[in-house]
Amino acid sequence: MAVLETTARDQRASGEATRRRKNARRTTNPYSPAHRGDAKLAWVLIAPALVGFAVFAAYPTLRGIYLSFTDFAVLSPPEWIGLDNYRQLLGDEVFWSSLGVTVYFVLLSVSLGLVVSVVTAAVLHRITSSTVIRGLIILPFLISGVVAGTVWWWMLDSQLGIVNIVIKAFGGDGIQFLTSRDWAIPSVALINVWKQMGYTAIIIFAGLQTIPATIYEAGRVDGASELRMFRTLTLPLLRPILALVVVLNVINAFQVFDIVSVTTKGGPANASNVLQMYIYSKAFGQFDFGYAATMSLALFVILIAITFLQMRLLRASESDTN
Amino acid sequence: MKAKRIATALALALAATTALAACGSDKDSADSAGGKTVNWWTWDERQAASYKKCLPGFEAANPGITVKISQYAVDDYFTKLTAGFVSGAAPDAFQNSVPLLGAYAGQKQIMALDDQIKKTNYDLSVFDIGVESWKYTDGKQYGIPLDWAGAAIYFNEDKATKAGVTADDIANMTWNPDDGGTFDTIVTKLTVDKNGKRGDQPGFDKTKIATYGIASLASGDFNGQTSWNPFVSTTGWRLGDKPAWPTKFPYDDPNFVKTLEYIKGLGDRGLMPKFGQLTVAGSQQIGSGQVAMAQGGTWDATSMTKIPGVKVGVAPTVKGPQGRSMISNSNANNIYAGTKNLDSTWKWVTYMGSEACQSTAGADATFLPSIAKSLQAAVDAQKKDGLDLTGFVNALNNGELYPAPPTANGQQLVDTIQPLFEAYFSGEKDKAVFPEMAAKTQEILAKQ
Repeated sequence: MAVLETTARDQRASGEATRRRKNARRTTNPYSPAHRGDAKLAWVLIAPALVGFAVFAAYPTLRGIYLSFTDFAVLSPPEWIGLDNYRQLLGDEVFWSSLGVTVYFVLLSVSLGLVVSVVTAAVLHRITSSTVIRGLIILPFLISGVVAGTVWWWMLDSQLGIVNIVIKAFGGDGIQFLTSRDWAIPSVALINVWKQMGYTAIIIFAGLQTIPATIYEAGRVDGASELRMFRTLTLPLLRPILALVVVLNVINAFQVFDIVSVTTKGGPANASNVLQMYIYSKAFGQFDFGYAATMSLALFVILIAITFLQMRLLRASESDTN
Repeated sequence: MKAKRIATALALALAATTALAACGSDKDSADSAGGKTVNWWTWDERQAASYKKCLPGFEAANPGITVKISQYAVDDYFTKLTAGFVSGAAPDAFQNSVPLLGAYAGQKQIMALDDQIKKTNYDLSVFDIGVESWKYTDGKQYGIPLDWAGAAIYFNEDKATKAGVTADDIANMTWNPDDGGTFDTIVTKLTVDKNGKRGDQPGFDKTKIATYGIASLASGDFNGQTSWNPFVSTTGWRLGDKPAWPTKFPYDDPNFVKTLEYIKGLGDRGLMPKFGQLTVAGSQQIGSGQVAMAQGGTWDATSMTKIPGVKVGVAPTVKGPQGRSMISNSNANNIYAGTKNLDSTWKWVTYMGSEACQSTAGADATFLPSIAKSLQAAVDAQKKDGLDLTGFVNALNNGELYPAPPTANGQQLVDTIQPLFEAYFSGEKDKAVFPEMAAKTQEILAKQ
């Protein structure tokens, strides 16, 4: 009897398990009749994002690619001109000079920004956990580029700016930050670093908090100094985060426009004429939207290359930390 | 069931949004279709206020037509206009600048006004300047003149007196590109270094200047309207090789090169701030005592002469080898080709181009009317406030003005030439840049 009871119990248990498996299959299979309503709901919920993506991202991109092969002055229909815009691009010295200016800006802005952000994050991590301080540090990032540019435009003014007033008070000659060829891009990069630094520092700070304290304790037991622990423990463990912020900052820096537009307007003598400024002036100043689309596409390709770089860096970082 | 409810709610929300958007566009089109409201745009807030004074007269003469005046800062103005053309929401009429004539007429966004002029017997001869600047390459008239603008010299009366320079001396300054004439002498006298030495005194330190004789004449502007143009034009040089639709800007002309070298030399001699050194407006430079004189636009007259605590005099530009001469820009009204209110718009545009409106709005001297009688009325009105603008009337009546030529690809000219001028004045390039500039203008102007 006991055996039978056991068998019956086993059979019930087995039937129960089968039912559960079937139910589970029904639950996880989105194409099952029971989920047909859910699929419709899913499409309804996805639709706004899908429409937004199609209208504001996919269509403009495809349209931009098409326009790059046309002579399009916006007020009359585009006229197909094949590769003429691309030929113009290859021989356009202002484009190449703007690209050079942009790369110079990106290098300055990203390298300086990274150093300042890592130091800020490390200091934050070691000294304080105050959310108020963190809030203050991220504040410049929340200000619009136009406002930040305007504030710094006044502060760096060669006559009235507070920075030059201080320099002159210490016996210096004052610097034409925004109106001299040598200083225009470093000044704009400095403004960009000030604006972006808080955001980058907070990301790095979040990364620092994921590093187990035991690693540092072990380091201290081994007699490692703070600086050595930072170099040999913190930085390698932060590599995935650093890779991420470098790529984000590079992409962001390549697209700088508002700060330049407010402070230097690309001058003097094209010394700060970054690619976005040149594209804007071609499109909205000269109505040469076809050629502007070609340059935008060139920038798009550059940014895709950076995205690939990002993926490689992230993969590399995964193997390093494991 | 739940999915259906959510889908229904989303559909309703979408429908409600669409309906609200439709309500908005219905209202706009009703205004336009009714032909009762004329939308007019300007980039100048002071002129917007002045032209509002014409509204009562216009609306009394044209019952049922109202005018909405909108002003947008010049940095956004032309971008907004372009967006308006693309979307079909451009204003019925708007203030425009000569360099944009080619782009807008060439792309048929503004209408030729010849038919309207003929139909209403509108008399363009009422204008003393500006009509020719608004003829497109097809020979048709696209603009009804509003105002003209040139240059003038503003000076700090107290600083001039201390230097032993009279208002008459400044009003009659001579100039030539070889030794600078009396202009050079006066600028030198007005310049004072930080030790109190004047530019013509022994021991003058050109590296430590307290007051410059004149504000910077180094400008990246391709026609140099308020900087080098009133100098080089007195040698007979003109911006274009033709008065309209030129094929080249003769920047390689020996007179031009000599003039620009002279002007750049003023900075090297410490008599004028170097390029980019002073960043504030001319009125602030005079107001703060950093410069004794500034050559500015005629439009600066009211702001320059109302600097608190500083007495500022107004003088005409220099007399050069061929007398006084300067380029003048004439702004005009254009009518949007897509206007649904042509008759009402034409009435407003021609009213703005009447002596009545020009005299009313021009009395504030926020612009110089293109009609000589209205200009005189403006000068008379300002005289009552203690501001003497007689020199502006003389410039118009004595033929000292030549109009800025309408050109193709105006913005491309600006974008190409400005960096080269900046490179020259900042010392990055020398006078070898001028043939390069002339060649570039030839290339750009050929793309008509």
